[in-house]
Amino acid sequence: MTREDDRAREEFTSEAEELLDTLSRDLVEFEAQGTGVRPEVVNKIFREIHSLKGLAGMLGFVDISELAHNLEDMLDRLRMGKIAITKDLIDLLYDSVDSLNRLVIAINDPSLGALVDITALTRRIHHIVSAQPEQKSGDPLSELTIDDQTKKSLTEYEEHRLVENVRAGKYILFVEQTFDLADFDEKLRTLTTNLSEAGEVISTLPVLDTSGGNGIAFRLLYGSMLNDAAVAAIAPDARVSSLRKATSPVKTIAEGGPAMPEAPVDDDLSLRSLSQTVRVDIAKLDHVMNIVGELIIERTQLETLTRSHEVQQVRMLSHELTKISRNLDRKLNELQKSVIETRMVPVGQIYSKLSRTVRKVARELNKEIELVLRGEDTELDKMMIEELTDPLMHIIRNALDHGVESADERRAAGKTDRGHITLNAYQQGNSVVLDVIDDGRGIDPEKIRAVAAKRGLIGEKETIDDKRAFELIFTPGFSTASQVSEISGRGVGLDVVKKNIQELKGTIDVVSAPGQGSTFRIILPITLAIIQALIVRAGGEEFAIPLTSVEESLRIYSRDIRTVERREVFTLRDFTLPLLRLADAFGLSDDHEHGPDTKWFVVVTRAGEKTVGILVDALVRQQEIVIKSIGERLKTTPGVAGATEVGESEIVLVIDVGSLIDHFGGRAREARALAHV
Amino acid sequence: MKILVVEDSSSMRAYLATVIEGGTESYELEIVEAASGFEALKTLPHHKFDAILTDINMPDINGLELVSFLKNHPVYKSIPIMVISTESSDEDRRRAAALGAEEYLVKPFQTGDLIDKLRRLLKVA
Repeated sequence: MTREDDRAREEFTSEAEELLDTLSRDLVEFEAQGTGVRPEVVNKIFREIHSLKGLAGMLGFVDISELAHNLEDMLDRLRMGKIAITKDLIDLLYDSVDSLNRLVIAINDPSLGALVDITALTRRIHHIVSAQPEQKSGDPLSELTIDDQTKKSLTEYEEHRLVENVRAGKYILFVEQTFDLADFDEKLRTLTTNLSEAGEVISTLPVLDTSGGNGIAFRLLYGSMLNDAAVAAIAPDARVSSLRKATSPVKTIAEGGPAMPEAPVDDDLSLRSLSQTVRVDIAKLDHVMNIVGELIIERTQLETLTRSHEVQQVRMLSHELTKISRNLDRKLNELQKSVIETRMVPVGQIYSKLSRTVRKVARELNKEIELVLRGEDTELDKMMIEELTDPLMHIIRNALDHGVESADERRAAGKTDRGHITLNAYQQGNSVVLDVIDDGRGIDPEKIRAVAAKRGLIGEKETIDDKRAFELIFTPGFSTASQVSEISGRGVGLDVVKKNIQELKGTIDVVSAPGQGSTFRIILPITLAIIQALIVRAGGEEFAIPLTSVEESLRIYSRDIRTVERREVFTLRDFTLPLLRLADAFGLSDDHEHGPDTKWFVVVTRAGEKTVGILVDALVRQQEIVIKSIGERLKTTPGVAGATEVGESEIVLVIDVGSLIDHFGGRAREARALAHV
Repeated sequence: MKILVVEDSSSMRAYLATVIEGGTESYELEIVEAASGFEALKTLPHHKFDAILTDINMPDINGLELVSFLKNHPVYKSIPIMVISTESSDEDRRRAAALGAEEYLVKPFQTGDLIDKLRRLLKVA
């Protein structure tokens, strides 16, 4: 087998296992609901078998595909109402899923394959399928006024469900609503879920937004026990219209009856969820995470209370409170850990995408490349993985295009014809490190200096060390015209990559040795959901500084602050630490009295290779915080990562150290320098 | 050229992308993947697609509903569509054609068939 086949087999195995897992749970649901099973459950099982058949067929797993095909045929008849639900049928489904599971395992361990007897299962399936179909007469759809486009868009199964709903005497309604393109999926799912509690959403048809906006409208075909007025109450933003011709009476609930049913009279009204496993929208996890965050705040308050003087006097009570607080703490940590874990996915998820691109780009560039992928099990927050794909792709394209030389060039330099790009992911404390390493021509710091000087990013005569030179390639406007090519010249430079990484609270650096290659290193926090922060006070306001950016904090006096080249600095051991006054950065009045003995606190922070001392009036405390977005308008404010609630509904800004250094370093320095003149 | 592949199975998406990339080496082709009809609707305004390949059986909205929307849309109606489905049902195939889908391919398929149909869709040799 080639590596490609291996990859395909691995992907199939994991998707098939996931499918069969869901299928087993759905079967339990099916069995529990018995003959009154909701059509959605049957259809879900049908779709799962159908997907499995498609996958197995494509990849040539004959046994799985054949068994799935026979099952699909049986389930299709079942959902179309052509065969009845019996105990035999349910037993058969269980046995089949068991066999499918074995067959999937056997893909990787062929010795197990012999234990599965497909012929016996197939015979049982045929026996059930050969039962006489139930005959129904008449064309119930003639009772409806349904337009052609909608009718044509129904699958055969949907049409069958519509017929069944009409036969059962349900109200058949159009529920039409316009949504914003940005979040229609979420809102539509909510609407569908609400409607499903009192009926069946038969079809979901996207239609043009005729209101003139840029949104998208959906027309749901809905069969329900409720009439249009009652449905309009469930879906207040939707237009609800009835499809039944006036002459066709609805059989179940009399017209003019109560707007809402008094009690569930039909299985369709069951509030049970369809499945025990659902794909969780990350927004919902965010919400749970926020609750955890709020609980943590409560816990902090409880802790403060246990230490307070009044309570100390009542020693027993204090003792009890301490115990509760400690227990609460332990449970909270557990909860927090498990919620974070559910958000985690392996980095390997994006590896296959990346390797495809590498193969393709290498072919286009006529270069021979070996892509080495390491650490694919390293886990990272799902949301961050999504956001990481583009920046990573960009760096890899750059490495392919500009880094790795042509075979001739490589041979001349005494290297192998084939270039190597290594992607290595690993965890380091609470961070995940991603290295993109190539063995190409490397980046010449001299060339960077020349380009930077030409573009006015540094002074003509300015000397900068190599480290600073490498940093310059992430500056907006650095990318040169000669660099733009089909592959990496997509109008975005490394400055955008850096911005993307910073938005994820990460850092990016590069080290390179001319002739030997380059390493781009991305460091990201494992999750953005909850972080430890240092709460500080400056200019009368409190701020939160993420502890991941803090190296140490110390107390100094005004007389310790020196000015070197118009920049305030402080000598920290043998290192000259540049200082940044937080109050200045946010334009707050500095109410400090000024004298050589004025006390300050310096929070030594680091973002990537840069270190800066943030000068504040006081260190307040350390605490866990949940970063919340501060809305569109302030989103791009430099130096601010978001806001958080600390203590009793007090909102403080969370500092983004990386962007604070980038944006305020210069300005705060100049303002200070003027004040000293 | 840019094509949109709408398919809810991740391994099937990866397979389709590999086959298409392998069979269309002679010209520049960019594949954008959508894991559902919703994702497809969200991504459509951001690209100019030369062709759309879609599965039928998907959660949320199915392939036929997507085709119906596209073929009734003033901007998207000119994008050629290939429905790739495991549906053996002639009925669904007939419906796809009635809604205006240009090509229909039944899984499992020969890779050559996919590439031929795609070429026809893109009007390239």
